[in-house]
Amino acid sequence: MTLRGFALNDRMRATLPYGLIIVLWIGAGFFLPGFAKFGHLRYMVELAAVIGLVGIGQTLVVIGGGIDLSVAATITVAAIVMPLVSFAPDTTGIGAILLTLAVAGGIGAINGIGIGILALPPLIMTLATATTLQGLLVIIAGGSAVTVNNPLLVWLGSTRLLGIPVDILVWAAIAALCLAWLHGTRTGAAVFAIGTNALASRLSGIAERRVTLMLYTISGLTAGCAGLLLLAMNGQGYVGIGDPYLLSSIAAVVLGGTSILGGRGSYAGTIAGAILLVTMTALITVVNASAGWRSIILGCLILGMLPLSGRDQNR
Amino acid sequence: MSLYWAIQWRRNEGLGALFIVLAGFLILYAVLFPGILSIGGAGRFVQNWFPMALVAVAQAMIMLTGGIDLSVGAMVGLGSVVAATSMGGAFGIAGGTAATLGMGALVGTGVGVIVSIGRYPAIIVTLATSFIIGGAALLILPRPGGAIPPVLSDFLAGDHPTAVLLLILLVLGWKLYQATPLGIGLIASGDNPTGAYRSGVPTHRARIVAYALSGLLQAGAGLYVAAQTGSGDPVIGQPFTLAAIAAAVLGGVSFLGGQGTLRGALAGSLLMSVLINVMFFMNLPPVAQYVVQGLIIVVTVALPQLKQMLRRAVR
Amino acid sequence: MADDRILLSAAGISKSFFGNPVLRDVSIALAPGRIHALLGENGAGKSTLINILSGALSPNAGTIAIAGQTLRALSPAGARGFGIAVVQQELSLMPHLSIAENIALGAAPTRFGLIDYRAIKERVSAITRETGITEPLDLPVNKLALGRRQMVEIAKALFRKPRVLILDEPTSSLSAHDVAILVGLIRKLKDQGLAILYISHRLNEILDFCDHVTVLKDGSLTADRPLAGMDAQGLVRLMVGRDPNDLFPPFQSSAADTVVLSMQNFRTAAVSGIDLDLRRGEILGLGGLVGQGQEDFLLGLYGAAEAAADRFTAGAATAPFRDVIAANRAGLAYVPADRKKDGLLLPHSIDLNLLLPSLARAGTGLFRNRREEQAVTQRLAERLSIRGDRGRPVQALSGGNQQKVALAKWLPLSPSILLLNDPTRGVDVGTKREIYLALQAMAREEKAVILLSSDTPELVHLCDRVAVFHKGRVATVLDHAAASEEAIVAAALGMNHGVAA
Repeated sequence: MTLRGFALNDRMRATLPYGLIIVLWIGAGFFLPGFAKFGHLRYMVELAAVIGLVGIGQTLVVIGGGIDLSVAATITVAAIVMPLVSFAPDTTGIGAILLTLAVAGGIGAINGIGIGILALPPLIMTLATATTLQGLLVIIAGGSAVTVNNPLLVWLGSTRLLGIPVDILVWAAIAALCLAWLHGTRTGAAVFAIGTNALASRLSGIAERRVTLMLYTISGLTAGCAGLLLLAMNGQGYVGIGDPYLLSSIAAVVLGGTSILGGRGSYAGTIAGAILLVTMTALITVVNASAGWRSIILGCLILGMLPLSGRDQNR
Repeated sequence: MSLYWAIQWRRNEGLGALFIVLAGFLILYAVLFPGILSIGGAGRFVQNWFPMALVAVAQAMIMLTGGIDLSVGAMVGLGSVVAATSMGGAFGIAGGTAATLGMGALVGTGVGVIVSIGRYPAIIVTLATSFIIGGAALLILPRPGGAIPPVLSDFLAGDHPTAVLLLILLVLGWKLYQATPLGIGLIASGDNPTGAYRSGVPTHRARIVAYALSGLLQAGAGLYVAAQTGSGDPVIGQPFTLAAIAAAVLGGVSFLGGQGTLRGALAGSLLMSVLINVMFFMNLPPVAQYVVQGLIIVVTVALPQLKQMLRRAVR
Repeated sequence: MADDRILLSAAGISKSFFGNPVLRDVSIALAPGRIHALLGENGAGKSTLINILSGALSPNAGTIAIAGQTLRALSPAGARGFGIAVVQQELSLMPHLSIAENIALGAAPTRFGLIDYRAIKERVSAITRETGITEPLDLPVNKLALGRRQMVEIAKALFRKPRVLILDEPTSSLSAHDVAILVGLIRKLKDQGLAILYISHRLNEILDFCDHVTVLKDGSLTADRPLAGMDAQGLVRLMVGRDPNDLFPPFQSSAADTVVLSMQNFRTAAVSGIDLDLRRGEILGLGGLVGQGQEDFLLGLYGAAEAAADRFTAGAATAPFRDVIAANRAGLAYVPADRKKDGLLLPHSIDLNLLLPSLARAGTGLFRNRREEQAVTQRLAERLSIRGDRGRPVQALSGGNQQKVALAKWLPLSPSILLLNDPTRGVDVGTKREIYLALQAMAREEKAVILLSSDTPELVHLCDRVAVFHKGRVATVLDHAAASEEAIVAAALGMNHGVAA
């Protein structure tokens, strides 16, 4: 039992995955030539950026006491819809991007209305949204892949500033915003309050429903960003492109020390969780372990983090 | 015995509306496809429905204890590959079946121990174990393969009423289990966990047995699917996870624990099966089922809340 | 009374939570055929003691003996095995199971591994007859009102044929009719030779049918004696440690003439027809039996529940508040009765809890200023004497200090109307007096206070007026001069003496 409230304990739990990453990177650097080379590390962080972006929304939603099972569908929607909303006068491509983000945010807002205002359980609402979107996606896009030629997106996917890919910089910028918001603003504090005890928060004057709506809208937006980033990195989008990222986002959140029960945690941990996930995947690929082993190790990792993550007091 | 039947009658009170809707759709289905009214047609329908029914029941058991199982799909896949690879050679059909079902029960027991004794939220434990179970399935059969002896395929999915009989056995078995202290303990441990513990109910044992039975059913569903297709496929279970939750929720099983019946879950899964088939015959694209699924879930859960809001607006 | 007759005893029990001592060197002995009362204020340690006696908690020091045999440790299963049954305030019933299944839970007779419903029906019917449960046995418990569920909980304890029966405030949610049944039942069980431990803070009940009394005050034993020759005054002195009149500060009225809150035919949830005025500097008490609508009224007034009224003014507002935020903006603040469930974020720091309403208030900038926040919480802690590291989880504080946090957090908002729901429940004597003085100070500062209390002396000593609720309406409003304990209780029971505005 902590004696200093959640804050100090949370900081410790968020630091653990960073420690693990450093250990793994150094260790792998010794045994596997090329692993710890700057280029490879940079590539891994780029891959982690997608998980990290989705993880922003997922972290916020989880701290607020809920969960978002629709992020994978939203990612795919963003990837599929972007080429569809490209129009000629939009030479930079920013118009299409903004429209796509609006759609993604709209999906999040629908979740937020169901959960925040209609008081539907987050699991059910986001599950329903995910299922509905899955169906709509196939109707819209069929089974084919669509190549992207949005100038801004292409630029995002290929440019480097001072040796650092722009997509990592975008992630860093949004991450900084998220951290500042969560720990520095009053609404950020409200998120922690709601996730701990929604009723007590409401009776203390916290606009619980409005904040919940905001959280899920943000989750939709960041999933949209992640989808656009994926599109930029891959060059094309297809139905199912977002599927692996649902479980990855939840895994990154849990590995980062945030409790699935809500009320405590930090996005700082999720950043590490995302990088840790990508590191593990890379290690397993290098060691030529199959997809099966990768999956097993990932599952064991999450189980291993559980003792730190939070227990159900009711039993 | 009259007390027993009076209690059963009360417990099924809420299901009336669901059964009426179900009957309506069954009639609609019979109108669109009179073939179902024949023995062969009905038999084939039941065979199609059977795996869904099994996983819906498996999920309902977990939900009754107050948890959610996100590893249903993975376990179905593992069941299918274990079945497809264990029936050749020395094991034979009997040995292979025992191995599959035994594996399901064993894994379920392990998950139950972690959730109940470790006091971790089921949703995150089963998320982790879904990775582990899915990984194991991939290790056994990286690609669809293996073989199910045609004798078994014919017995389970051929011209025999095996599926119907198994369903009847399932319902009877559950009713029997419910009339034991451990069976009542299952419901109690989800209805009021602290109260149940204080009353001397063996809550840990009840939960672990629930997870073991659930795992057995899920593996059994995998075996059945393998028998239908003739081979094992590690990822064939993927759509089952969300569908199982949807069916259980439709059937009135609450994921808060303690509320709901197996009959409800079966009815829910049947309704979904019928809906899928009806939409098919109405020439709707097969993926429209996802959209409808999503909408049904939301409406079912939101209904009580919406009713309350309407009542307040009228006042 | 020979020692070998004692069925259950504890000696030298001490227990602390998070470093807070809750029980100090307490001893108690339960003999068969005796109704033993355990008396003490809220927060005196009664619930902890019975948790230890029933094996749910283990003491930090001291021993427990069953039938003279000292035990190393007692588990709930062991206690059950010996025949110790507890009826606690938090019910242990399963809402979705039937009455019969609940009564037999954990002890159901079986035949060939299956539950024997016929045997259950027989045995349960006998017990429901004794406890006055007339509802059908197959009815799910969630269809019963709270008072009826309490009776089912008692029936459940009796199903196991206990030798020791511990009842923790069993009458708190019972109707007068059910109380009578319960008292008759307890007397019968006493004649059958059970050892009965009866916890309550209702003196009239204790004096009515208990034989022996143990009194706890702030975790220590202050008396352990037969009830013969004791009267209410004497008991209160043992519970409170001083003359009851010393607990309360002398009455002072700060009520001005300006009306800050006024309503006509205010209605919400189970409440209707409320006509009430509240003046600046006034302390208005809400009395009545539990569950007569007082809490619904407060929640509706605070905007936490739907409410309507023919006429309503609160400062600038002309209609009942749509939500809590609107109420806060109009200057209302609310301190709930169950601070652990509704009032505080238990695992979070004292600082965050103190800051919560301030953080919620809009229009004071987007970013937090940690230094300013620390200054604010420091001032609050000093003002209400909340000592120690404010980074600790608020869970670590005693009940009294937690209540101070629940109250203090509103001060930075300068509320003009304070709604307090049973603010001294579970609070130790010293803190109670502090809270009373704080209330009077706030009244002097021209704030208005609505004080809902289940403690009639509080209403008598602190309030300018007392509105007594009965069946969802205000039965009568008593002026301070007319608000004696008898008058309040009489009005609470529905004997209307007319409105005395």
